[in-house]
Amino acid sequence: MTAVTTARPAIRVADLVAAELIKIRSLPATWIALAVAVVANATLGFIAATDVIRLAGDDGPTSIAEIGTVMLAPVYAYLAIPVFAAGSEYRGGQLRLSLAAVPGRGRFLAAKLLATLAASLVAAVLVVLPNLVLRGALGDLGRHLVVYLLLALIGYGLAFAVRTVVTPIAVLCTFPILISTTLGGLWPEAVRLLPHETALSLLDMPADPATALSPVAGLLVLAAWATGSVTIAWILVTRRDV
Amino acid sequence: MTRAAGAAAHAFVVIEFNGVTKRYGKKVAVAEVTFSVRPGKVTGFLGPNGAGKSTALRVLLGLDHATSGTALIDGKRYRDLRYPLRTVGALIDGAGPVADRRGFDHLSWIARSNRIPRSRVGEVLDAVGLTDAAKQRVGKYSLGMRQRLGIAVALLGDPDVLILDEPVNGLDPDGIRWIRTFLRDYATQGRTVLLSSHLMTEMADTADDVVVIANGRIVAHGSLPEITAGHPSLEAAFFALTGEQKQVWA
Repeated sequence: MTAVTTARPAIRVADLVAAELIKIRSLPATWIALAVAVVANATLGFIAATDVIRLAGDDGPTSIAEIGTVMLAPVYAYLAIPVFAAGSEYRGGQLRLSLAAVPGRGRFLAAKLLATLAASLVAAVLVVLPNLVLRGALGDLGRHLVVYLLLALIGYGLAFAVRTVVTPIAVLCTFPILISTTLGGLWPEAVRLLPHETALSLLDMPADPATALSPVAGLLVLAAWATGSVTIAWILVTRRDV
Repeated sequence: MTRAAGAAAHAFVVIEFNGVTKRYGKKVAVAEVTFSVRPGKVTGFLGPNGAGKSTALRVLLGLDHATSGTALIDGKRYRDLRYPLRTVGALIDGAGPVADRRGFDHLSWIARSNRIPRSRVGEVLDAVGLTDAAKQRVGKYSLGMRQRLGIAVALLGDPDVLILDEPVNGLDPDGIRWIRTFLRDYATQGRTVLLSSHLMTEMADTADDVVVIANGRIVAHGSLPEITAGHPSLEAAFFALTGEQKQVWA
């Protein structure tokens, strides 16, 4: 437009990612979710390692290390991080400001996805590592991180799709608590394809043999959920009026 | 600063609406809106609540997709601007900060997104009188403080164009006087100011040109003397222009 503006360096995707990281780290919800997830998972790791608490099972008292749903529970606090990263765009009308600052919606979404993945990865390491160290199971770090990141992407996409932070967390928590327990025995072929069940299958800790997939199949189905969720969010955000 | 001196520092950027129509379902929010905004002037965009002012501005900023027509800034769509916030600073209705975030952080991410130096955050906070509240969470701000923060966002990039939707809402008399003087000075530097409001007296004190919209259609466009000719005031002219209009969008 002018000699002044054309002399300026172009705005890079790295600038947009840095802006999104400021958004994530300046939200109190990010730090609260991280603290809750870290403490909960470390506590579970301690209990599992020392076996000080056992839960009633079909074959008598069972170590919680063998109860996948319990061991995976802290992920639902962790999920608040990506869900707030996306859903807070609809709090106070922030998305309008975001798109005024970055009107190319594809660039905005790409930067936000990269920033959310980076923040979610760091948070996942902090949440998972103490648990695995306490249990002497560091070899499982890779697949735990994959599970956490794929579930993060599902929550992220869902938050953009429904334009709130509450519904994604409520829906994702409802799957294991209500749907899996009520429909697991009636319709295991469908329930084993739900995100929680596929995550447990990938971790080789299925809640029930009837709802188990192989770890590879669990990975593929969970990745499909994540891809679908992010893709739907992308399409909606690029097409919607804000 | 004189207009000639301003011209040396800033581009003359024109805003152009060309036949913009926006429908939400069957409701027509704006219909065939056509007008241009000249640099070096404060242009008032005047209309009753629900007349289509905010919709037209959202279309201009690419937030809503026009059903037909184009809205251009310096001959480009907003989304095609290389440095959006250095070209256009906007205070948009319904676009605010997340209440949990501190004012300083809110400005910081916006500045970072457009490679605006971090030092500029302090400058605009100072300009709008929010330096002492910079570390407070926005949820604790009063309505007037939120409005000042919104104006600070618009000023971050020291843009060639200012688009302000109802900027005096919530401001105290000092704030209203400050923004009136500020906008006049801004235009004097050769920059472009589009000011949306439904407040007649405020507009009469600030605007050089006036665009009047009602029922989503432009009913008058001209200099302030042209619009008020034959009427005792802008308010009288406004009601003469819009009084017979029945609102179809609210």
